[in-house]
Order: sequence, then C-alpha cells, then structure tokens
Amino acid sequence: MAQAKSAAARRYLARFFPAILAYVVVLFGSLWIIRSLHPEGPLLWLVAVAPAVPIIAAIAAMGLYMVEETDEFLRAILAQSMLWGIGVTMALCTIWGFLENAGLLPHPPLYLIFPLFCGSFGLAQPFVSRRYR
Amino acid sequence: MKNRLKVLRAERDWSQADLADRLEVSRQTINALETGKYDPSLPLAFKIARLFSQSIETIFQDEA
Repeated sequence: MAQAKSAAARRYLARFFPAILAYVVVLFGSLWIIRSLHPEGPLLWLVAVAPAVPIIAAIAAMGLYMVEETDEFLRAILAQSMLWGIGVTMALCTIWGFLENAGLLPHPPLYLIFPLFCGSFGLAQPFVSRRYR
Repeated sequence: MKNRLKVLRAERDWSQADLADRLEVSRQTINALETGKYDPSLPLAFKIARLFSQSIETIFQDEA
C-alpha cells in the first residue's frame, strides 16, 4: 500500500486491526464458554457465531477503504489485488474440494477461507504495484 | 499512454511529491502516470490539465 498513508488508509488500519484484535478475544471467549459452560439451544448458536461478527467488521473495513480511498491509482491496485485474492482463493478451494472428494484431503473448516483470501490478496499487492513502475 | 508530465514537472522544478501534493494523489500515482503505465481517469486528467494550464491533448498523446 502507500508509503505515506492516505487518510483513508489510516482509517482502514484503525478499523481493521481492532477488528482482528476483537476477533482473537471473542474467539477464545466463545471457545471457552462452549467448552466449560456447555450452553445449549439458541444461546449455543449465539456464542458459536460470535467470532464471525468481528471478521465481518474486518471485511466491512476493507470494503469501506475501497469506497473512501480518494487516490484512483491506489484504488485500482487494490481492486486488482482483490481480484487476484479472490481468484487464488477460489482456485485453491476448488482444487482442495476435488482432492477431498477423492478422500485424499480432510475437510477444512470454512472459516479458514477468509484468512486465505487475506493472505493471497496481501501477497498480490506488491506484484500488482510492480507492474506500474 | 505517452504524456509530457515529467517534462512539465521538470520545467517547474517540482519533485514527484510536489506534483502529488498539488493533485492530491500519492507519489506512486505520479510515478505510474509518468511512466505511462497508468492512464488517469477523465476527472484526474482535467485536474492535471488545469494545473498546467494546458489542454488534455497537449499533455497526453494517443499512440495511434
């Protein structure tokens, strides 16, 4: 991303990292409650889904950054990197799915798809930026 | 698309950062524009034209 961060990029970081921090706290809280207090019924649903809320906030922060970034070139880099992230994530999930179908790989938890997207999106950024140098 | 941004900037003795400030974009954006690898949107092209008091066609050359 920008070396000198734009105002939108600073807002993005101020939203994204607290959301991830909240995720870690809520995740461990949720796991602890499920394991030690054994909630049931609607309460179990609520406690189980809780870690998804800060992740959705992190996704929203990414979307807001895309909307709020006023530098069109940075926005273009971001959009292309996101497309790479989506492409890589879908390709890997498709490959995994077929290998799993043949009994070669175990079933992975679906919540790993978001970090997989973040990783491939992040890795794509320097490569996408380099094409404009 | 080829353009004369680098020349126009040099004539005024501005750094890439100076031009970036005047156009309210990042320095990377100026760099990508100057190398001709990124074509600006119409609003940014007009902003550049206004800053240098020239028409868009005299700054950007369509390679045909």
